[in-house]
Amino acid sequence: MEGNIRLLLPVVAPVAAGIAVLLYSGFRRVRKPLLAVVLGILVLETILLGLALTGEGSLLLWQLTDVVALRFNVDGVSRLFAVLTVGVWLLAGVYSVAYMEHEQEEHQFFGFYLIVLGVLVGLDFSGNLITMYVFYELMTLTSLPLVLHERTKEAVAAGLKYLFYSVAGAFLALFGIFLLLQICGNQTFVPGGMLTAIPEGKAGLFLAAIFCILVGFGAKAGMFPLHGWLPAAHPVAPAPASAVLSGVITKSGVLAVLRVVYFVVGPELLRGTWVQQVWILLTLLTVFMGSMLAYKEPVLKKRLAYSTVSQVSYVLFGLSMLQPQAFVGALSHVVFHSLIKNALFLCAGAVIVMTGKTQVKDMKGLGRRMPVLLGCYTVVSLALVGIPPASGFISKWYLAAGALASGTGIWAWLGPVVLLVSALLTAGYLLPLTIEGFFPGADWDGEALERKAAAEDQKKQEPSAWMLVPILVLTAGALLFGCFPGTLIQMLETIGAGVL
Amino acid sequence: MSFVQNFPFFSIIIAMFSGIISSVLDGKRARNLCLSVIVLTTGMSLAVLHFCVRTGQSYTYMMGHFPAPWGNEIRAGILEGLTAVLFGLVMFFSVTGGMDHTAVDVETSKQNLFYIMIDLMLSSLLALIYTNDLFTAYVFVEINTIAGCGLIMIRQIGRSLSSAIRYMIMSQLGSGLFLIGLSLLYDVTGHLLMSPAREAVAGIEAAGLYQVPMLVIMAVVSVGLAIKSGLYPFHYWIPDTYGYATPTASAVLSGLVSKGYIFLLIKIFYRVLGRENVIASEIVNVLFVFGLAGMLMGSVHAILERDTRRMIAYSSVAQIGYIYMGIGLGTQAGMVAAIFHMFTHSATKALLFISAVGLYEVSGNRKDFRSLQGSGYRNPLAGIGFTVGSLSMVGFPMLSGFISKLLFATSALQSPHKMLPTVIALAISTILNAVYFLRLVITLYTIPGDSPENKEKELANKEKAPEKRPVLTAGTWKLPLAIISFILLNLTLGLYSQPVVAWIGSGLAMFD
Repeated sequence: MEGNIRLLLPVVAPVAAGIAVLLYSGFRRVRKPLLAVVLGILVLETILLGLALTGEGSLLLWQLTDVVALRFNVDGVSRLFAVLTVGVWLLAGVYSVAYMEHEQEEHQFFGFYLIVLGVLVGLDFSGNLITMYVFYELMTLTSLPLVLHERTKEAVAAGLKYLFYSVAGAFLALFGIFLLLQICGNQTFVPGGMLTAIPEGKAGLFLAAIFCILVGFGAKAGMFPLHGWLPAAHPVAPAPASAVLSGVITKSGVLAVLRVVYFVVGPELLRGTWVQQVWILLTLLTVFMGSMLAYKEPVLKKRLAYSTVSQVSYVLFGLSMLQPQAFVGALSHVVFHSLIKNALFLCAGAVIVMTGKTQVKDMKGLGRRMPVLLGCYTVVSLALVGIPPASGFISKWYLAAGALASGTGIWAWLGPVVLLVSALLTAGYLLPLTIEGFFPGADWDGEALERKAAAEDQKKQEPSAWMLVPILVLTAGALLFGCFPGTLIQMLETIGAGVL
Repeated sequence: MSFVQNFPFFSIIIAMFSGIISSVLDGKRARNLCLSVIVLTTGMSLAVLHFCVRTGQSYTYMMGHFPAPWGNEIRAGILEGLTAVLFGLVMFFSVTGGMDHTAVDVETSKQNLFYIMIDLMLSSLLALIYTNDLFTAYVFVEINTIAGCGLIMIRQIGRSLSSAIRYMIMSQLGSGLFLIGLSLLYDVTGHLLMSPAREAVAGIEAAGLYQVPMLVIMAVVSVGLAIKSGLYPFHYWIPDTYGYATPTASAVLSGLVSKGYIFLLIKIFYRVLGRENVIASEIVNVLFVFGLAGMLMGSVHAILERDTRRMIAYSSVAQIGYIYMGIGLGTQAGMVAAIFHMFTHSATKALLFISAVGLYEVSGNRKDFRSLQGSGYRNPLAGIGFTVGSLSMVGFPMLSGFISKLLFATSALQSPHKMLPTVIALAISTILNAVYFLRLVITLYTIPGDSPENKEKELANKEKAPEKRPVLTAGTWKLPLAIISFILLNLTLGLYSQPVVAWIGSGLAMFD
């Protein structure tokens, strides 16, 4: 333990609190103390994170073997991901206060919710490959109970699917990591990579190992061919859990890929190799396929899950271009997609809680009952499609510009084309809910439904403020980042200049 | 000569005599004697380890002061001491953890017999570790086999008798091959002590004589010990044996006995046949291929298995495959990885068997997946123990299994010809391990739904399976103690692996 000890607090505090929540039986019956503790910890976490990030820092955690040390090291990427994680966690936590009222075993949900937060911050702070791998595995294990929460047959099946895809991906990556350890040792991440040239005589093996890592960590980011867990896991998890799964946990796959490509191997070594070509192909395939599947999907949460498959691969596409502008586009899309997808899942959850409906076709006339909620949904949908001045436009602009300037041959123009087609499809799968919700058509008998609602004592129209405020904040974020992207883009450009 | 140097001999003889004395004691006294002997011998092994680490060299100990070509010798070095300490620890906690079950599963009049078998087992394992004489090794291999058989069939239910017979036949086949190998070696070299035999072998190899007999010796000795340790495809006795014995017996048999034979094989490779000769003879390549096959097929069998105890047993087949793969790499690093995995597997498999028992206790003693649903809540500590054991076997970081995988992968990358098959087999086998272990872990934490369908099934199950034998339901402190200790052992091997790895390395260096 030497170095900036403050880095440890934002990792340990939520984990300890989470374990306490799980074990202390006093939380099982009464709701208010539990919620107070959870929200208190979430607020405390933002303060601890702020404290940890004030100083530059690295911290040696544990000397695992002579060559392998576990180490935290905070750089620009860590800051970006950690702040995003904690912010989103806080908002989804506030939302859960209202949402989880309708679920069983709340203390279990909140306990694991806090533990995963600590683990994710640890993942963001990780300073070398093995540390990252440790927290990556811990994240899979601790986030599993969030998917399993409802304990129905479907939930267990989905949880198993999530576990197998993640674990299979992680172990696929692990063997690549073993090779990299052999070649570069377990150094702290170096912006721009540790290697100057592909090792002599081992080129085939080396590239194959990198490819294994990309596919393996890509599983968490929902990249084809290991994307299958997303549409299974999201519909069964509680809405706040799906929101953070989709918004933050998929991004940890992105983080892992980013660290390996830009901080260990180095982008220059991959440029023009078959690994880059296949990687681009896979991301574009995923972007298109995800959008198509979302377009055809009738269940709202599943549709959003497919949309995540597609959108996270925008990020991976940006990374695969190995070009500064595309890099900025990718990282900004991490932030924007996180805000937007969280807002979308929270909206979907609110609709389920208020009306019990899961299929898009049953949500006709929703705008009459909940105009604010559906309004937020519409704004973030437009942001995801990429209509200026909302935020999605900025990231897509950078992605397309970067791709065109990347000099990757056919991909340089095919990439932007696929992105555009996918944006159209995005509009196609997100906006029907808005249209039907606000303009249900002449034959829609709203009054009958209202009478029915009154009979069932559903007086409340909009969801409660606990739900609405986080959604509003996320929506505002998605809009404001689009209007005033300067600071963020500047920060990302600094990171990009370091690695490329 | 320092007093500590007597300890290897003392520990073997004390364990042996405690077995003899136990035959006139009642069950409870025999048990207490057994436990104290295990503690005593482990303490002695620790002293030996400390002595060897401090002096930095190994020593041979003459029995009865007869000098080299005639007398019988014991040899102790860092690796011997370390192995003896770990085996002692695993033995102690396996016996403690399964103690209550032994009391229930074994007839009262035969309780002391059970502990006699454990004493003999301990004595023969220590002898296999310490001996410097090939014939002594053979004698204790036989004692070990007989004690193992006794441990399996003492439960006296149908399956355990037939599995004991199967174990007996397979083991005798292995011992027979081993004996043929020894006889040939004696013919060729004229020695049974390891060190003079080694010199004779070196002379023979240098002169280029007896090439076919030497190859046959290596093959027969390797295959004989491979059969006894359950290397694929000689594994058919494993699932029944581990699946139907008492918990202590399963833990000891899978955790220690097979490892004792592997240790002997490694010792013979280094101390008698000469590592370079074995590598040159390509026997290692055969072991390598069998090891790879075991890693994959053992896991496939485990996935297909519905009975969880047999599933854990099949997983042993896969893990033994890992160890032989490490030996088969034919490098120093591969050997270190194999020995480290031997320790990992001892500690982890015993943990799995012992915590599984805790889970069966609270599930009406049934062992299929459906009955175990939710048992992780009914016995939280056993659930945690099983989860930790599974994660370690799968190779999650911070646990000992991860260090094994790291060592295997690193050593594979150093041997260019075997790198690809090793890494691919490791990857596939790891994922297969994850499939069956994590599936079971999830089952432990799934509460079966209250749908009427399930209730009917439950009722049907209850009517179908009336319990004939007395069943232990109330837990005591012994099982938790064993589980916690095994978890700690696992964490220690995972977090403080460096000293152990360094000791294995210097211990192997002392073999030459």
